[in-house]
Amino acid sequence: MYDIVIIGAGIAGLTAAIYGCRANKKVLVLEGKVYGGQIINTFEIENWPGGYKISGVDLMKKIYGQATDLGAEVEFDEVLKIVDHGDYKEIVCEDEKYQAKTVILATGTDPRKLSEKQAKDAGKRAISYCATCDGALFKNKPVVVVGSGNTAKHEIKYLENIASKVYHIHHDDPIPEDAVAIFVAIGRIPGTDFVRDFVKLDSEGYVVAGEDCKTSRDGVFVAGDCRTKDTRQLVTAAADGAVAAEMAIKYLNK
Amino acid sequence: MIELIDFYADWCGPCQMMKPVLEDFEAKHPEVKVTKVNVDDEEELAERYNVSGIPCLVLLNDGKEVARNVGAISVKKLEKMIGV
Ligand SMILES: Cc1cc2nc3c(=O)[nH]c(=O)nc-3n(C[C@H](O)[C@H](O)[C@H](O)COP(=O)(O)OP(=O)(O)OC[C@H]3O[C@@H](n4cnc5c(N)ncnc54)[C@H](O)[C@@H]3O)c2cc1C
Repeated sequence: MYDIVIIGAGIAGLTAAIYGCRANKKVLVLEGKVYGGQIINTFEIENWPGGYKISGVDLMKKIYGQATDLGAEVEFDEVLKIVDHGDYKEIVCEDEKYQAKTVILATGTDPRKLSEKQAKDAGKRAISYCATCDGALFKNKPVVVVGSGNTAKHEIKYLENIASKVYHIHHDDPIPEDAVAIFVAIGRIPGTDFVRDFVKLDSEGYVVAGEDCKTSRDGVFVAGDCRTKDTRQLVTAAADGAVAAEMAIKYLNK
Repeated sequence: MIELIDFYADWCGPCQMMKPVLEDFEAKHPEVKVTKVNVDDEEELAERYNVSGIPCLVLLNDGKEVARNVGAISVKKLEKMIGV
């Protein structure tokens, strides 16, 4: 039985783990992919205080090392659902089940996928959600960027130096026939589908909670980008991690 | 023979995060031959295998592709994909 099980090893979850361990709680972090979260695709972070121009990978390696050094356990297993048994929660993963007195949801966001129509249009062509990750694979070839926000503009600028042509289309436009790869930048959605019936979500799927990070369910807290809030950044995710852990500790010591 | 090709690049963050995962996997499964391919140095090979996103893991059985995964994954998912 763990005191705190944290779902997601991004910056919010790992910061919560640091705070939980420092309060001598038994902490487990569950991560479905690799640790680090969304920021591992970024080369240079300019707004992380004390780490000017640090890379996402370097920053997350440090935070991961800090959390595990302080005693956090980490298992790489995707969480499928949570069951409330009153005084403890059961966390059901793909391979194992875990028990915890409190749970912190820190599952962040994922890129929004292409619409069904565009996905059909795309056929067998490459679909990418990150130009800096995959752009170089399409040197001197025509590509297309889907999306109208700032991210889409960034992707276009980046790809213009690599591809032979960069088309720009909006959500639901037809995909140009000669484009060999489709770069999708149409926003992000919270990774909260698995707790849809467990805690209150807003209409976009974010876990409803104020600055105290308390969800609609007793003993369940939320931290980071998957919470309802205005500013989704590393520092605010880390801050949530601290608050959610403190609230969980308070709940445990009650 | 079962072989796993790991297409990666030095500038790719998720590829760096996969390094310890693959090391862990290699230590557990010496029966699977893991080959690393840098897509910048070996563009032709990457093109031949139609690599359209990295990290890309391609599983070969006697040289024939039987499965592939694009994006970072955990050791457990990798083991499931390979069936070991
Ligand atoms: C391209 C890009 C550039 C950015 N640049 C900056 C920047 O320069 N400065 C800045 O401050 N912010 C930046 N951000 C925002 C920043 O990355 C996020 O605010 C921050 O990473 C949120 O952290 P998080 O821990 O809440 O979520 P995430 O980083 O999304 O981590 C969530 C983790 O939970 C895991 N997970 C999800 N569901 C499950 C499940 N069911 N079971 C187990 N694990 C699960 C995921 O695999 C992931 O590892 C950028 C974001 C992007 C996409």
